[in-house]
Amino acid sequence: MSASPDNDRFALLASIDEVTDGTVLLGGTVARLLEYVVPAFADVATVDTISHEGVFRRIGSRVEGPGREELERGLLRRRPVPEAPLGLPAALASGKSQLIERITDEDLRAIAADEADFELLRALELRSMVDVPLLARGRIVGALACGVGTSGRDYGPEDLRFAEVLSGRLALALDNAGLSAAVSGLEQRLEATLTNLAEAVIVRDANARIVFANPAAARLLGLVSTEEITVAAPGSLMALYDVFDEQGRRLELADLPSAIVARGEEAGPMLVRNVIRATGEQRWLLHKATPVFDPGGALTMVVSVIEDLTEVKRAELAQRLLAEAGQILSSSLDYHQSLQRVAELTVSGLADRCQVLLRGDDDGLEEVAVAHAGGEAPTETDDLGVAAEAVELAEAHLAGRVIAVPLALAGQPPIGALFLAMAQSGRMFDESDLVLARELGQRAAIAVENARLYTERSQIASTLQRSLLPPELPAIPGFELAGFYQAAGEQNEVGGDFYDVFEVRGGWMVLVGDVAGRGAAAAALTSLSRYTLRTAGKLLGDPVAALEQLNAALREGPGLSLVSVCCALLRDVDGDARAELVLAGHPPAFHLRGGRPEPAGVFAPFLGAYERGEWTPVTVHLEPADQLVLYTDGVIDTVGEDERFGEDRLLATLQGASCAADSVARVEAAVRGFAHGPQADDIAVIAVGRLLGAGRVDREPEG
Amino acid sequence: MRRAGQLSLELRRIGDASVVSARGDIDLSTVEKAGAAMDEAREEQRGGGGLFLDLREVRFMDTSGLRLVIAERQRADAEGYRFAVFPGSPKVQRLFEIAGLAGDAQLFADPATVLGVGEAG
Repeated sequence: MSASPDNDRFALLASIDEVTDGTVLLGGTVARLLEYVVPAFADVATVDTISHEGVFRRIGSRVEGPGREELERGLLRRRPVPEAPLGLPAALASGKSQLIERITDEDLRAIAADEADFELLRALELRSMVDVPLLARGRIVGALACGVGTSGRDYGPEDLRFAEVLSGRLALALDNAGLSAAVSGLEQRLEATLTNLAEAVIVRDANARIVFANPAAARLLGLVSTEEITVAAPGSLMALYDVFDEQGRRLELADLPSAIVARGEEAGPMLVRNVIRATGEQRWLLHKATPVFDPGGALTMVVSVIEDLTEVKRAELAQRLLAEAGQILSSSLDYHQSLQRVAELTVSGLADRCQVLLRGDDDGLEEVAVAHAGGEAPTETDDLGVAAEAVELAEAHLAGRVIAVPLALAGQPPIGALFLAMAQSGRMFDESDLVLARELGQRAAIAVENARLYTERSQIASTLQRSLLPPELPAIPGFELAGFYQAAGEQNEVGGDFYDVFEVRGGWMVLVGDVAGRGAAAAALTSLSRYTLRTAGKLLGDPVAALEQLNAALREGPGLSLVSVCCALLRDVDGDARAELVLAGHPPAFHLRGGRPEPAGVFAPFLGAYERGEWTPVTVHLEPADQLVLYTDGVIDTVGEDERFGEDRLLATLQGASCAADSVARVEAAVRGFAHGPQADDIAVIAVGRLLGAGRVDREPEG
Repeated sequence: MRRAGQLSLELRRIGDASVVSARGDIDLSTVEKAGAAMDEAREEQRGGGGLFLDLREVRFMDTSGLRLVIAERQRADAEGYRFAVFPGSPKVQRLFEIAGLAGDAQLFADPATVLGVGEAG
């Protein structure tokens, strides 16, 4: 070895200084040190440490030449025999360097623990060796053993001195590392903790090289092992993902907190949507980064902690999406507009493309709403076949980048489909997306049905409100007419009450009626009833005949349709005004004379109940100032705080009414004052009062 | 919703007959529920053993309740089973009167006859 030029050895020492300068973990330092020692100075080398407690640890071995890996493993397991009088045991025992210039088999036997150990030592083909204790602050902290043989070199006293210099540096490095022995233990504990942490932890050095990653990090990033992370070149991992912020903007590595703090800037936690390009798997990750500085204030590493908020975010997103969709869908009855807004909402979080398709008149699916993430137009034609199939089978469909759910109310055939697709984001749908899509679909279906129902109702309502009720009561010569009508509940819920006043041959017909039931069907019946009575009344001029006509019409229809009617034909026979009053399933009318009400009418079956019925007219003579008050059961059925309004209360209300207008005003006020809660049924009241000094009623109206 | 319009229904089998006992209000808001109970009771009565609607505890009934009764009555005639009601309060009976049904002896049954004297009270 004396042939080695000094400057080579100087370079070797410089390299070792460089290695030992770093604050890398001890094991790594020793391994790199040995790389410099072997083969530059030795063919075989080992490094040992001895702790304060005297525990011997071999922390590194390196062998040059054939079969080196097996030999290195063997050496690493090897323990020196304490009582051996030479070599490493002697160096450790005496604290003095040992040089064996020419090794014999006897030397080896003295050192070897047993036959196998001897064979191992022989296999090293050692010619010379030096064993140098590592001394630091007066204590033996370890030993360096070097041997030559396979390279044909020998050691001499000069080499021993060099080994001592080398060991001095090594001792220093070990002591430095050993100084942080407590720290090292802490690091080990820390590493164990980090390994078991649910949060992903990634540590980068000042050059952005990843020096540590725990298994959670590997899982989160869709990698098999932590090695995949630590071997990656700085920044190369980023190519595996598409990363977006909460607003959907694409992020680069430089935008992430770890890079921001590495630049010396401050960075708060950042929530990102991470899509693994290869699989389309999407995760919501909260990135937090903390810089670590050395005492001089220079950045040594950046610790990133990444929390998986996918479930939380998904739940939050689902909740928000459903809440907002629900609000949109319930706030407007223009379902085309609502569905469009829901589609736009959906592409902001759940999918890249959202289409809502509704069954048209020809049973085919028509697109009524469509939205694309980022407002981009579709770049490909969709496989809407799955949407059609979802509708056909009434089953939801999930396949990778496509979800189709039928829009249906429970137990009813689908009215359309919600179609979701992923495109540019590269994401894949999973079961939880399907659950969310189903929920959305159900809300959309309800909204569409409601809107359709409402449209149907409100159309009927407005039609009926125009057609069912005379815009104003006509003037009947010799009589005063007053009326009050109030539809129940919501404006669009046309109920079953109707009233009419029209002229017939020889008189006027005044009637109120009520159709059992509510809603569109009842409204249609109301219309039928009113027009049948009007037509039949005008043609036949006889209330009973008119009722029979309506009864026949109702019997023709499907199901049981019941209508109650109170009908009065006002006539003047030789100056004697009278009303021919007929009831059909209707409570009695009131005849007021001198302000005293008396019930009038003969009870008879509902119209529509039976094929034939007997409706008996009664004649009520109307003297001047007499009144006839007709009303529907909405008046007497009005819900009060404790009971219903009732016939008796109506009778009391009318007591002392001076004229038709007074009667109607009294009933209106009494019902309003009595009612508790929303009005349940329509209310119609018509009062006909004979004017004082009135003439004949069968004259043509004036004007 | 409305304060009134509460209805509870009880279904009983008495021999081959089914009895639906109503308590509360039979009106527009509850008639559907009453109809469903009647459907169920109709299935349960055997061999024309009879279907009875007990109105004794009914506080209020409007024309929608009456419509239910009339429809059931017609169905019973067509399908050959007996249907009758146990008369209710004067207010409820007033409704039958208004509908011209007060004289229909077949429509009303004496609860004592159907339930047995002990149970009828």
